[in-house]
Amino acid sequence: MSLAIPNGLDNTVEQPGERAPLVLGDTTYHDITEAVCQVAERKPSTSWVIGFLISFALLQWLGICILYLIYTGVGVWGNRSPVFWGWPIVNFVFWVGIGHAGTLISAILFLFRQEWRTSINRAAEAMTIFAVVCAGTFPGIHVGRAWLAFWLAPYPSLNLWMWPQFRSPLLWDVFAVSTYGTVSLLFWYMGMVPDLATFRDRSTNKWRRMAYGMLSLGWSGSSRHWMRYEKAYALLAAFAAPLVLSVHTIVSFDFAVSQVPGWHTTIFPPYFVAGAIFSGFAMVLTLMIPARKMLGLEKLITIRHLDNMCKIILATGSIVGLAYGTEFFIAWYGQVQEEKFAFTNRAFGPYWWAYWTMVTCNVISPQLFWFKKLRTTPWMIVSVCIFVNIGMWFERFVIVVTSLSRDYLPSAWAYFSPTWVDWSMLIGSFGLFFTLFLLFCRLMPVINMAETKATLAKQYHVSNDGDH
Amino acid sequence: MLRVSQEQETTGGSQTFYNCELMSENNEKKVHGVVAEYTSVDTLLAACRRVRDAGYEKTDAFTPFPVHGIDKALGIKPTVLPWIVLGAGVTGTATALVMQVWMNAYDYPYIISGKPFLSLPAFMPVAFELTVLFASFGAFFGMWALNGLPRFSNPVFTDPRFDRVTDDRFFLYIDSKDGQFDRGGVEKLLGDTETDYVQTVVDDDSSDKVPKPFFMIWGLVAALSVIPLLIVLKMRVSHSSQPRFHVFYDMDFSPSKDAQQYSTLFRDGRAMRPDVPGTVARGEMQADLDFMTGIDMNALSVIDRPRADRLVRSFNPLYQAEAESAQESKSQDVTQAEKADEGSDSDGDKSGADADKGDSDKPDAEADAKPSVMDTTPWLSSNPLVLDEKVLANGRKNFGIYCSVCHGMNGSGNGLVNVRAQKILAQSWIPPSSLHQETLYADKYPDGKLFSTISNGIRKMPGYSGQIKTRDRWAIVAYVRALQLSQNASIDQISEAQRETILSEQSEIQKALKEKADADAKAAQEKEEKEEKEEKEEKEEKEAKDSA
Repeated sequence: MSLAIPNGLDNTVEQPGERAPLVLGDTTYHDITEAVCQVAERKPSTSWVIGFLISFALLQWLGICILYLIYTGVGVWGNRSPVFWGWPIVNFVFWVGIGHAGTLISAILFLFRQEWRTSINRAAEAMTIFAVVCAGTFPGIHVGRAWLAFWLAPYPSLNLWMWPQFRSPLLWDVFAVSTYGTVSLLFWYMGMVPDLATFRDRSTNKWRRMAYGMLSLGWSGSSRHWMRYEKAYALLAAFAAPLVLSVHTIVSFDFAVSQVPGWHTTIFPPYFVAGAIFSGFAMVLTLMIPARKMLGLEKLITIRHLDNMCKIILATGSIVGLAYGTEFFIAWYGQVQEEKFAFTNRAFGPYWWAYWTMVTCNVISPQLFWFKKLRTTPWMIVSVCIFVNIGMWFERFVIVVTSLSRDYLPSAWAYFSPTWVDWSMLIGSFGLFFTLFLLFCRLMPVINMAETKATLAKQYHVSNDGDH
Repeated sequence: MLRVSQEQETTGGSQTFYNCELMSENNEKKVHGVVAEYTSVDTLLAACRRVRDAGYEKTDAFTPFPVHGIDKALGIKPTVLPWIVLGAGVTGTATALVMQVWMNAYDYPYIISGKPFLSLPAFMPVAFELTVLFASFGAFFGMWALNGLPRFSNPVFTDPRFDRVTDDRFFLYIDSKDGQFDRGGVEKLLGDTETDYVQTVVDDDSSDKVPKPFFMIWGLVAALSVIPLLIVLKMRVSHSSQPRFHVFYDMDFSPSKDAQQYSTLFRDGRAMRPDVPGTVARGEMQADLDFMTGIDMNALSVIDRPRADRLVRSFNPLYQAEAESAQESKSQDVTQAEKADEGSDSDGDKSGADADKGDSDKPDAEADAKPSVMDTTPWLSSNPLVLDEKVLANGRKNFGIYCSVCHGMNGSGNGLVNVRAQKILAQSWIPPSSLHQETLYADKYPDGKLFSTISNGIRKMPGYSGQIKTRDRWAIVAYVRALQLSQNASIDQISEAQRETILSEQSEIQKALKEKADADAKAAQEKEEKEEKEEKEEKEEKEAKDSA
């Protein structure tokens, strides 16, 4: 695969005194509509069908594994004393982290008026929701009696005669993740309504028109509606920004509030949030680069977008690297015997292979993004991002498993080994994620058309006059 | 105006201005307003300003994306949405705090990880999450409500060209409800702006066209979704003589058992599991039997081979299987006396208590004329530990913990338990021995025997092998020897330098004690006198009062 960037599509060069265009070519509003709508309107491509069939098969396999688990009991996992958290929690933290990039792009970059977000935010938000679906599955089935998972909710039960325990981070987690899922869904759906109206107005099929008509709630594009809509969007962004920080902070409390060596550290909240954004951006790029190629969206998702996201990966990757170093420093500086042991054990104990995989993937590989050539070559970006995703999964594995497998009681130490159900569920969760994502690509507007058109309008204005 | 008519002709001329009016009168289609189409933001904004300056108020623009500056151009007032969101957010915070405080501090308080029932810091995360959740609901639903959506039937949708409002066209609309609405004037005003298309908006009848299967499917889904709820509701209010249905019976009623209970899970019916034959539990391997028993095992095997074998077996479970078969064949040979004696030798054997019962009745008398096993046993004569300060300190610590409560800190047999027992159990209490009797000195009571007594107990004293580690029991033996020495040593056994300091210290202490005793006696006398005096004074006062 060559490095060819089609003529006129290189907007990564900084021109002093003018802004680099975010929509390339001689594009009109109608071109944007066409480019986005054709994705959903034409017949599915062979690669989509193959991808969907594979993902759907994996999803079925996940479903079978879950039924097997519920019918047999959690013993089918590799979770044994002393590692009771094992892979399900590793997968939970991994997927929650993946979701964070979507909210970051849609909310925090929106509040900072980073307009380059417009053509990637929709897909990233969708990714957030699908990642939260994957994440929510794992604690749901990890509670042991999955059919009683609703006991987590504070409802007046006639059987229990008791209330949940609000002084535990595990319950905070229930509230944080469910709030996060709900608000992300509202945010995503609200952002899609004007674009769903575009789908409605373009559809020729009666049923299709009705379905999109229902989903778009009768959106007419009225200026008054737009004004309230923008206000609501800004407010939701303002809520989602601290929310996304709070979610992974609370996820890190699950660990940090306990007393297990290697978990009981105050660095966890910022360290987890940085790691979440890091892994999330890597996942966005892993998905978007093939998608933009397959869906023909190169003029809208430009090399500049990829370049910017790579810079964020570089920054957050460096934060994560710094956090790893700080953990070791504090373990030594704190002079707590168990802490010192926990970290020595991570790097040189029986799980050394996991630790060094993590360091290689998370600390070393993103440093390659110092080179512009790597930041602007799609296949190289994808390679690095896949490494980052692997590394971030291993980070959660290292945190969960190494600390639990060797804590205060040496007589209880044991080596964790996953079972085939653990493997199946990890792979199956990717099936769930990709099934949802591929359906989204087919049925929903993958790019925020309205916002991209607004960006284009601004581009016109800048080139014409500075009237508004 | 010219362009308008051209446009109307090119679209087929079916909808001229007058036709529209006729149609609206004949078919009772109400005219809602007039709409004009633009191709760019700039032309739309120019038209908006023109319409606003002409004094129209009930106007609206329809655009494919939010156009900035249009609110000013049209004169749109800011929205109240932020206030709704604020209210929702505050409600969220209040709901979360009230819920948590009520649930965890009042309705169902229980202690967890030492936190107070009303633990505000711990309630903050959920309060934050619910604030965000409620505020987001406020923003989302508030926005749709203020916008009057969902609204599936909208008059502007009747115009087929209006479909492009979500693509690349901009529309300006003047409502017929406007005070100065006049169709001709509006048409003219809009026609003068940069537009290709002006059209009247008439009633929308599209809601009649919703296909019937849609309603049928919707109704069916709604009806089906109610059924589970109804079943749950019926179960809630009705009574049944049938036992509850358990999806996973063994998870609702776990077959786990407590110690000593009968269990159906195992063939032998025991809930507690014995060691697997041929294995030794961690930390239970006891190789050095001299050290474990206080007996010279080599000597014992010469004197009394069967007893030595029994001891080996009882200490080393690896010989368990062998021991069982041996016991079966030899059971006739083992006399009752031997069986009873076994207890006092072996660490774990409960029969030791029975063996000592005979002694406890008459503590000082010899039970039999026949020499006791206790006397014939070849006890270790010296402590197997290498004695140093550390061992003695350890012995002192353990003596203080386990022995001193009865035997007293100095071993004289007057510990706190004894003091108390003398008061409340004077009749039945057998006082603990003083460790300073001559019969307990090392020449008559070897170290091994003392160790065995500590391990297995004697008379009322229970065995301590289960509580004190073997090494620590030996340390206690060493410390007891030191105690005995401390009470019976003569001053000549001490080096001269120490002797002098001890003597001077002793005299000082005695002097101080005497002074203190004198002072106390004096003080007591003074106090007594004072009290007597006071009493007298009081009496006198009383008498004086009475007489007065």
